[in-house]
Amino acid sequence: MGLWIAVTEASASQLYHDASFVWLGLPDGTNFVMGTLVSPLGALMLVVVNVVGFLVVLYSNEYMAHEEGLPRYYAELMLFLSAMNGLVLADNYLEFILMWELVGLCSYLLIGFFWKKPSAASAAKKAFIVTRVGDVLFFLGVFILFSSLGDLSSATPATAYAGTTCPGGVLHWSCLGFTFTPPNTNSSVPFLPANAAIEASNFGGSSWLPTLAGLLILGGAAGKSAQFPLHTWLPDAMEGPTTVSALIHAATMVAAGIYLLAITDIYFGFTLTAAIVIVGIGGFTSLFAGTMGIVAPDIKRVIAYSTISQLGYMAMAVGAAAVISDLTPTYSLVNGTPVLNTFTGVAMFHLFSHAFFKALLFLTAGAVIHAVGTQDLFQMGGLRKRMPITSITMLVGALALSGIPPFSGFFSKDDLLSLTWQAATLESTQNGSPLLYVFFALALMAVFITALYIFRLWFLAFSGDRSRGEAPAASHGAPAPAAPTSAPFASSTSSSSSSSHAHDAPAAALPLASSTSSSAPSASGAHDGGHAGGHDPSWIMTVPLVVLATLAVAAGFLPLIPGVGHLLPGLSWTVLGKCVTNCGAGSSFDLTDALLGSASLAFAGLGILTAYAFWGNGKVYRLPKDSPLLGVHSVLLHKYYFDELYDGLATHVILGLARGADWVDRYIIDGTIRGIEELFSQASKSGRRLQTGIVSSYAAWVVVGLLAFLVFFLYVVPWLVGGFHLPPTPGL
Amino acid sequence: MTTIPLVDLLSLSGALFALGLFGVLTRRNFILILISVEVIMNAAILNFVAFSLFSPGPAAGGIPGQSIAVILIGLAATEVAVGLAIVLALNRLRGTLNVAEAIQLKL
Repeated sequence: MGLWIAVTEASASQLYHDASFVWLGLPDGTNFVMGTLVSPLGALMLVVVNVVGFLVVLYSNEYMAHEEGLPRYYAELMLFLSAMNGLVLADNYLEFILMWELVGLCSYLLIGFFWKKPSAASAAKKAFIVTRVGDVLFFLGVFILFSSLGDLSSATPATAYAGTTCPGGVLHWSCLGFTFTPPNTNSSVPFLPANAAIEASNFGGSSWLPTLAGLLILGGAAGKSAQFPLHTWLPDAMEGPTTVSALIHAATMVAAGIYLLAITDIYFGFTLTAAIVIVGIGGFTSLFAGTMGIVAPDIKRVIAYSTISQLGYMAMAVGAAAVISDLTPTYSLVNGTPVLNTFTGVAMFHLFSHAFFKALLFLTAGAVIHAVGTQDLFQMGGLRKRMPITSITMLVGALALSGIPPFSGFFSKDDLLSLTWQAATLESTQNGSPLLYVFFALALMAVFITALYIFRLWFLAFSGDRSRGEAPAASHGAPAPAAPTSAPFASSTSSSSSSSHAHDAPAAALPLASSTSSSAPSASGAHDGGHAGGHDPSWIMTVPLVVLATLAVAAGFLPLIPGVGHLLPGLSWTVLGKCVTNCGAGSSFDLTDALLGSASLAFAGLGILTAYAFWGNGKVYRLPKDSPLLGVHSVLLHKYYFDELYDGLATHVILGLARGADWVDRYIIDGTIRGIEELFSQASKSGRRLQTGIVSSYAAWVVVGLLAFLVFFLYVVPWLVGGFHLPPTPGL
Repeated sequence: MTTIPLVDLLSLSGALFALGLFGVLTRRNFILILISVEVIMNAAILNFVAFSLFSPGPAAGGIPGQSIAVILIGLAATEVAVGLAIVLALNRLRGTLNVAEAIQLKL
C-alpha cells in the first residue's frame, strides 16, 4: 500500500492533499483540520513503515509464538502501525502531535510487553517519561509557532501551493503553514543579519524567539530519536520483544524525530543557531552512543546504541542541510517561496537505508536470541556454522551499517558526511567558525567506532567454532530478558543465564566455560540439552531476514530509481566523488568528496580490522587487570553515568522543586485560604458572646444602636453634607 | 382654655419614655418589663395626642392623631394579652419569671 502510494507519488509528482475534515472549528474562524497529506518525505516513510512493518509482523508469527498475551501484542503492533502511518500522513502540527503521542504510547506499551518483569516495566516507564520531556519541549515550540505564525493547520494557506510556488512536486509544510517573508537575497552579508530582522518581524520583533522555537522542536525530536541529552531510554527499551525493537526502536518510531526535523527543516533554514545546534547534537551523539556500543555485553543493546548513533548521523545531515540553506538562501527559496531544504533528502536517504539494515540487524539478533536463549554476547560464539542464513544476513546488515560498498549504508553515509563537510566549509568561510569541522570530525570518528562495535558483535556471536555460553546454571538465576519462554528452543546454553551477569561483571571477569556438551541441566529444567548452539529458524523468520538483507543492499541504489528525484530533490548519488545521477549544476567529479569517501571507507575498514584483531575467530579480548583503560571501560559500561545523573537529578533537584511547590501550596495558598477562614471563625467567636439570651441586654443594644443612628443622622451626616435643614414647620 | 405648650407635652412624653426604657433595661422580672413597655408605649401615644392638638383636624384634611392613639391603646391591650400568655407559659415551663434565667429558647 505504502509502496503503491510512493510509486504513484514519484511517477506523477503530484501530491495528494485533503484537508476537508474540520476536526474542531472555533467561533473565531480558526479551524483545526485533520487532513491527509502525502508529501514526498511522507511517501518515503510510508514505504519504510509498511515494508518493515509487514516483515516484522511475519517474523513475529514464529518469534512470538510461545508468548502469552499475543492478542495484546498484535493489537498494540497494529495500533502502532496505524498511528505511524497517520503520523507520516499528517498535514499539520496538531494532527502530527496526536499521532506522535500515539506512537509514543504504543512504544510504552510494547516495551512493557513483558510487564511481569520489573525491568521491562521500568524501562517502559523510563521511555515514556524521557520522551515526554522532549514532547513538552516540542509542544512549547509549536505553541510559539502557533502564536507567532498563526496557523497550525493547512486549511487557510493551502492555496499557496496551487500555483507555481512549490514546483517540482515539492510540497511541504513550508508551503502550507509557514508564512515567512523571503529573506533579502541581495544582502552583502550573507543571509543571516538581513534575515534576522525579517524573522523578528514574524515573531513580534523578537530575534531570539524563532531560534528558541527551533531549539524546542529539536528537543522534541531529540526525545523521540534518542539524541544526546535524552538518549537514555533507548537502550533500556530493548526490554521489549526484539520484533518491537526492530520495528519501533530502530526503523520507524525513533526515525519520527528525524522526520520531524526533516519536514520542519525549512524552518531551521532560517535559524542558523538552531541548525548548528542540530549538527552539533547529531555529530556528538553519533560518536557518544557508538563508544557505549563497544563495551555493551547485550547483543540488543549494542544495536540500540548503534541506532542512537545512526540517528545522530541523520540529525547531523538535517542540520547540515539547514545550515547550507541558511548560508546560501537560494536553496531555500523557489520563486520567492520557502521550500523544503533541498539537501534534507540526504538525511532521509540515510533514514531509508538505515531502516532496512537496522531492522535486519535486530531481526537477526532476534533469531540468535531465539536460538540460544541469551542476549549475552559473551555466551554466544561459533554460531556461524549452525545458523548460516542468520550469520550471512547479519553480516550484510553489519557491512551496510559500517558503510562498506556496495551495501546501502555506504552510499547514504557517504552522502551525509559530504553534506556535513559542505556545510562546515560554508560556515567556516562565511562566518569564520570552524565549529562544524569539529562535529564533522566526531562523525568521522564515529564511522570507525561503528564498524568496530558492529563487527565486535558479529565476531562474538558468530565466529569461532564453539559457544562460550555454558556458564553454570546455578549461578545465574534471572530469566533471560527477551525470550523468557524460549526454553524449548534453548540449546545446552542455559535459558536461565542472563545478560544481567555481564552487567555486573565486565568482560575481564567472565567465566570461560568451554564445552559444547551441556553440563548439568539448568535449574528450570526446561531444555533438553540436545542440539548445541541453536540453528536457523524456519522460513517464517528467515524470509524477512533475506528480504531485509536484499533491501539493505538495494536501498543504497534508491536515487537511481527514476522519479525519486521528485521525492528527494537534491539527493545525488555520488560514489567517491563521482556523481552518477541527479547531480545538479555542479561538476560531476568532486575531489573533496572523493577524499572524504575514501577516508570514511578507510575508517570503516580499520574498524573492522580492529574488531577482528580483538574478537575475531572466537577470541574474547579482555583488558589486562592493570590496564589504565579499565576506568574508561567502566565509564562506558555505565553509559557515562547518565542514568545515575538523571536519577540524582530526579531525586534531588526535581524532588526539591516538588517539595518547594508543596511548601508553597501548603503554606502560601492553603495558608491564605486558612487565614481567611480563621478570620471569620474568630470574628464569629467574638460575635457569639453578644448573644447571651438575656432580653435586657438585647434591649440595651437596641438602644445603643438607636442612639448611634440618631448621632449619625443628626450630627455626622449634616457635618458631612454641610448643614441640616428642616423644612419650616407651619404653626409651630 | 389654657393651652398647654407643646414643649411641655413632649417633655412629659420624653420623661415617660425614659422611665419606661429605664424599666425595660434594669428590671429582671418579666411582668415589670411588660409594664415598662406599656409605659414606653403610652409615651408614644401621648406624643400622638400632643401633636394632634397642634395639627389640622380631620375636617381640614389633617391626620387624625387622636384616632391613631385609640388604635395604639388597642394594640397595647393585645400586646399585654400576648405578653401575659408568654409570662404564664414561661412560668409554667421554667418556674421563674426572671428573664436572666430564661436565656435559651429550647428547653
